[in-house]
Amino acid sequence: MVTDTAAYRPPTGCFDEVFGPDGTPRPHAISLAAEIAQMGPELLTAAGHRRDAIFVQQGITFDATGEDGPVKDRPFPLDLVPRILPAREWDHIERGLMQRIRALNRFIDDVYHEREIVRAGIVPWRLIVSRSHFARAAHGVRPPGGVYCHVAGCDLVRDADGSWKVLEDNVRTPSGISYVLENRVAMTRLVPQFFQHHRVRPVDHYPQLLLAGLRSVAPSAEDEATVVVWTPGPMNSAYFEHAFLARQMGVELVEASDLVVRDDVLYMRTTAGLRRVHAVYRRLDDDFVDPLEFRPDSLLGVPGLVRAYRAGTVAIANALGTGVADDKAIYHYVPEMIRFYLGEEPILDNVRTYLMADEAQRERALARRHELVFKPTSESGGKGVFIGPSTPQDALDGLADVIRAQPERWIAQEVVNLSTVPTVMPDGSLAPRHVDLRPFAVFGETIRIVPGGLTRVALTEGSMIVNSSRGGGSKDTWVLEEDPGGGRDGFREGDTALHDIVPTTMPGLRYGSEWTGQQQQQQQRQAGVGRQDRRGIGRR
Amino acid sequence: MLSRIAQELFWLGRNVARAEHTARMLDGVFQASLQGRPDDPSGVRLGWGSILAIMGAKADGRPVRRDEVLNRMTLTREEPASVISCVSRAREGARTVRDVISAEMWEAVNTTHLALSAGDLEGRMQMGPYSVFQYVKERSALFWGLNSRTMLRDEARAFLVAGGRIESADMVLRMLRVAMPAMGDADGEGIDGVRDGQALALLQAVGGFQAFRRAVPAPPNAGPVARFLLYERAYPDSVAASVDAVHGALVDADEAPRSSEPVLRLSRLAADLEFRGRAAAEDGNLAEASSLVQSELALIDADIAERYFAGAGAATGTVLA
Amino acid sequence: MNYDIHYLTSYRYETPVTDNLNALRVRPATTSSQRCDEFHVRLDPEARIHRHVDYFGTEVLEFGVARPHDHMTIDVRARVVTSEPSEAPEAPWEHLEGETYAEAAGEFLLAADDEPDDTVLADLLDIARARTPLATLRWLNELIPDRFAYRPGVTYVGSTIEDLLDAGAGVCQDFVHLALVLLRRHGIAARYVSGYLFSAPEEGGSASVEVQTHAWLEALLPGTGGRGEPIWVGADPTNRRLAGETHVKIGHGRRYGDVPPIKGVYRGTARAELEASVHMTRLDPAASARA
Repeated sequence: MVTDTAAYRPPTGCFDEVFGPDGTPRPHAISLAAEIAQMGPELLTAAGHRRDAIFVQQGITFDATGEDGPVKDRPFPLDLVPRILPAREWDHIERGLMQRIRALNRFIDDVYHEREIVRAGIVPWRLIVSRSHFARAAHGVRPPGGVYCHVAGCDLVRDADGSWKVLEDNVRTPSGISYVLENRVAMTRLVPQFFQHHRVRPVDHYPQLLLAGLRSVAPSAEDEATVVVWTPGPMNSAYFEHAFLARQMGVELVEASDLVVRDDVLYMRTTAGLRRVHAVYRRLDDDFVDPLEFRPDSLLGVPGLVRAYRAGTVAIANALGTGVADDKAIYHYVPEMIRFYLGEEPILDNVRTYLMADEAQRERALARRHELVFKPTSESGGKGVFIGPSTPQDALDGLADVIRAQPERWIAQEVVNLSTVPTVMPDGSLAPRHVDLRPFAVFGETIRIVPGGLTRVALTEGSMIVNSSRGGGSKDTWVLEEDPGGGRDGFREGDTALHDIVPTTMPGLRYGSEWTGQQQQQQQRQAGVGRQDRRGIGRR
Repeated sequence: MLSRIAQELFWLGRNVARAEHTARMLDGVFQASLQGRPDDPSGVRLGWGSILAIMGAKADGRPVRRDEVLNRMTLTREEPASVISCVSRAREGARTVRDVISAEMWEAVNTTHLALSAGDLEGRMQMGPYSVFQYVKERSALFWGLNSRTMLRDEARAFLVAGGRIESADMVLRMLRVAMPAMGDADGEGIDGVRDGQALALLQAVGGFQAFRRAVPAPPNAGPVARFLLYERAYPDSVAASVDAVHGALVDADEAPRSSEPVLRLSRLAADLEFRGRAAAEDGNLAEASSLVQSELALIDADIAERYFAGAGAATGTVLA
Repeated sequence: MNYDIHYLTSYRYETPVTDNLNALRVRPATTSSQRCDEFHVRLDPEARIHRHVDYFGTEVLEFGVARPHDHMTIDVRARVVTSEPSEAPEAPWEHLEGETYAEAAGEFLLAADDEPDDTVLADLLDIARARTPLATLRWLNELIPDRFAYRPGVTYVGSTIEDLLDAGAGVCQDFVHLALVLLRRHGIAARYVSGYLFSAPEEGGSASVEVQTHAWLEALLPGTGGRGEPIWVGADPTNRRLAGETHVKIGHGRRYGDVPPIKGVYRGTARAELEASVHMTRLDPAASARA
């Protein structure tokens, strides 16, 4: 049975990335749509079961809060229909992100040093110091290489007209890259036929990029800097990713108790004694890194780490204090930052945002509260967000009071009607579901971005909540090597010149059981099998 | 023990190891081929044509197609180098030596054979060959695991292990020689010291990616990968480790190892690998080294046949697919 | 005035501890009315001291003792010259408006995360406001010690304002935290000050006096006259007066947690027994050196 793609209806008011408004596939997705139709709902469902089994077996699971309380060890919901981005579109996104990350990095440096953007009257100082992630301990410290956002994962969405917009910046400890890599591996195993007619850019070099990036900022005189991944521990919801990255980079996965600062140098405790650490990829917030500087009650921290960092003997990624740049109130100013620091026009737009600290903007926004989205400035992962159109009136009224009481902790945004991509339903049919995109960038000597990123998909009809902790799933994200028409058909038939490949002195394969050669030949003649068959079937 | 039995055990080991390596290699190339690869300046190549070359095919001028190679090398009984042929031969061999190996080992091989022969394997291959390759890898691991848990550590086991390890060394050398024809020139640093190349695919094809990552700080480029697969004794599937293991097994099996030609050759080869491994950082010509090591292994193979298997199949029976 | 300060802290551990790391904020600051002439720290066991100036301008001394030890003594000596601060400006409330003031006030006007909300403070907030900002500051110096008893032991270093309100008593640190919130709610920027306070012996003289580390506050009062430069004025609600030449400032922050005199962690299960003493000696009672 084939899937009836004609029955697929992109919702109105949204951009569907595979099917145009008239129901025909967009040019870059024609052959994918055909492959999916060819496969049919039964096989898609069956592939889904195999996927769940593999993910559970490999421990690619997560814990979520379901309707009946917490759900543990659910297989990560990877939707089998990939999301395709043509090369030209990706180039635009990539340039836009590089620009944005460069500006954010400059901003962080500026905030903890000269404060030029404040003196220029662009960002108010009071707004900056009132951000909960503004880190006084980072004041005056310039990390090795001047890099702060070693790893950035900005969330992008696609508006109804198909244009890309940045929804939020994540420059603390963005997670999800492990799913990008695992999704790709799973897709090549589960539905290899989907790849048939596309040349998809690989993603599996991310750990190499990260390791090279970390090494490039590590203050080490030796040949190879020692890099570690620092996890809060197995209870952390992203522990899988921490272990994944450590394993892929071939570096130690450490917890606080493995690390110690002596004088102003960071070491890890090993069976061979203390070993110097040059760069730490930490997967926990500033608050917990050093009880001497941040929260004194934190048992997760390494006392003295900030001292070592200040002394420049260790690189911390991301740097301390980067959180000030991904605050949602600061987000509002990013386009201005790009103009101020880089003298360029932003390539990627923001979603239109209103600062609640500004009385005029606040009252206008609150008057339209049933149309807008309200977000607390210092939260991430969709926590505390109110979506006006889907929030009851009394809750919105209560929210208005909360916002008026602490306006500097809130922003409002226009609703973006996230784009949709066909997604497999439990019965194997396809339905449009809303998606966002989190590409991952590594900033070492230069900024490198892994093609694509994590596409998160809201699995409930009409929902725009894509967070996996709240029932979202993900999709493999394909960036095509070239747009269709670029030519390069038949790439799979490469290596035609076999004589170039075989080394001249390569011996042929040997086969065993020549002991019974005589009997074999007799059998072969009887069975009439090809000459080359020398299986030892002559002796039973 | 009987020469015939010793040879049967030796080839049982070889066939199980060959089936596993072939499955890993096909899986690695299959996965890599699904995605685009930026041009790899290190000149690593591992494609469908490479697989035919590794398995000893001669060029016939016809274009090489993925699905043809996959099917031919996995499920085609008429193709002696296919996974299923290796498993069938292993099963026939195991049947012969049922009384020598443990019952559990026999069952492991037999069940594998039955599972591959029955069922809709073509269908599974079409949907995604991963499950088939995964099955072969797991069964191979089960076979060797049972071997170390349940089989008496005697002469019989020594020949079985020697066969498995000499095959591993040979397969890794084949892959290296085909995939990295110009290994010696490929030590320069790429952009940002990172190369997204087929060297990764090669490591994945032998199942050594994680081990490499833990052992070698350098990015997985052609040079470091080739050195690792050739010389890293700590990695069980490296050529050096396999040569050591074959040597160890024959020392156990041989009544008079000090006057045994294959044992002496293996000692020299092991020492040579050790020496080259230490000098490898300076001596760039890995392609030449792997060619030499492979010829030496062929001589050892012949010596083994001559000394233990009564000269039965010495240096004959070369089959070209 | 001219003081010799001797701040001695010693810890005894029941069983040896390791990796004992500490950050000290104990050095008297140099300001317009104070100068630190000499400053020494001796440690036992000995350790290398790393110095840096933190975000708020306080000098921080950090050290660590890695090897096992069963005691730790921190012996701080300083010589300081202080003078009476200049007259506090008496400007009307309206002078709090405007960019100049807001800019100088910076983050010292912002509410902290753990503050009680207005309902808890309502009655205090109502009566805390006086005719001018300066009058409000003086009034708080009376209001707070009137309402709350000074009683060590009912609160601890991590106590909140609500703890003070519940207990009806506290120490200087709690008084200051409360005063800071009240001032900020009325639009006056205010900051926490850590330091030493010399309390003169009954009959004057130059005898050495045993005192304690102390906390007071500084409020940013709008200037008078045309230029209207705002000025930080010290006030000590524990002692019902504005800060003067007996107050020796170490540093300031938004709250206690920004300028703790000693902050440390160590590895080990042993309990620590702490003994701390501050001795201040007035060296030259007659002289009032301008800093």
